[in-house]
Amino acid sequence: MRLITHNMLQCPVKGCSKDNFPLRIEDAEIENADADFNPQFLKRMLDRIAWGALVQTSFSLGVAKLPESPGDPNDDEFLQTLHHVLLETRVKEGRMVCNGCGHVYPIREGIPNMLLQENEV
Amino acid sequence: MDSLSSAELESTHVHSVYEAIAPHFSDTRYKPWPVVERFLNSQPDGSIGADVGCGNGKYLGVNKKLFIAGSDRSFNLSKIAHERGFECLVCDNLKLPYRDDSFDFVLSIAVIHHMASEERRVLALKELVRILKPGGRMLVFVWAMEQHGRRRFDQQDVFVTWNLPKDRYRHPPEKDKPESETVQTTTNNTRSCHVVYDRFYHLFLQGELDRIIELAGGVDIEETGYDRDNWFVISKKRYT
Ligand SMILES: C[S@@+](CC[C@H](N)C(=O)[O-])C[C@H]1O[C@@H](n2cnc3c(N)ncnc32)[C@H](O)[C@@H]1O
Ligand SMILES: [Zn+2]
Repeated sequence: MRLITHNMLQCPVKGCSKDNFPLRIEDAEIENADADFNPQFLKRMLDRIAWGALVQTSFSLGVAKLPESPGDPNDDEFLQTLHHVLLETRVKEGRMVCNGCGHVYPIREGIPNMLLQENEV
Repeated sequence: MDSLSSAELESTHVHSVYEAIAPHFSDTRYKPWPVVERFLNSQPDGSIGADVGCGNGKYLGVNKKLFIAGSDRSFNLSKIAHERGFECLVCDNLKLPYRDDSFDFVLSIAVIHHMASEERRVLALKELVRILKPGGRMLVFVWAMEQHGRRRFDQQDVFVTWNLPKDRYRHPPEKDKPESETVQTTTNNTRSCHVVYDRFYHLFLQGELDRIIELAGGVDIEETGYDRDNWFVISKKRYT
């Protein structure tokens, strides 16, 4: 799972509407994979990303320290960092925990399992 | 069919079936449908989309200038999509784990027809609309009751068989099957050896998809069409 995907996620448990995002990543095994650098794509991402959540997640995983607010979209170094965080950093194993309800979502072989039990739907 | 609840019916006759046939199903799915290809190529560069029920991920790489988050209810199909280098997670269309208003576009290709009641089909559509950004577009494809191909159906809720060739694909041994799974397997010796799975489908009548998209609400329909035995609708989320 790339961090761009993690940024789109929220806890799907019924009635869980407070602190349901971002999901806390625990016991993560991180993998880096090269991805094509596309400045246009990254610039467009800036208003699609929940920035605070990305800063927090990137910091907690020890990936990179991003600025508190999005940097200059024409600054190449900033875009390179953003590229690395969003697209090249992948969580291979671990779990995501909801800060609101405590639900645990395992990640195995790079694939998060976001299914709920019948009684949680 | 009536004795089972919709959830049980889908569990046995949709989810367990895709789990079991995943590698074979994937080998038969590679050619993108033209309408889907056109939809993907009409999205502005750098858009982000969700392909819910993405199967083996056949649409995830059509337009390299987009980012598409794939998801499927089947672990085995998600694994195949992931092995092909795509982003995929396991979730249920009825309860999507995505934030509201977050995707520029949403794909639902041949998925909603696997939901066993109209209530669930509308719920699934509501979830797709919820994650779409205002102004974002959604493309939904479902199987049509009005078939131009070789198949004929006399009712809308049907089982369609999938023949899994035993010699080429390992089918899950009984002991590996979850307890809830009761897929009926019969062996057909006439041609080669197959394991036969019954997949549940709700076939859509002309206009039905438009009607339930309107029931789900929040979008305006922009285009409706028929292509290769399927109905499709492109709709756009309202700004309200
Ligand atoms: C006919 S296949 C289509 C796959 C792919 N969209 C394509 O066009 O090749 C239907 C897919 O929907 C998935 N599916 C069925 N019910 C689902 C649900 N409730 N939530 C998510 N995916 C579901 C199945 O696992 C399967 O991969
Ligand atoms: Zn929660």
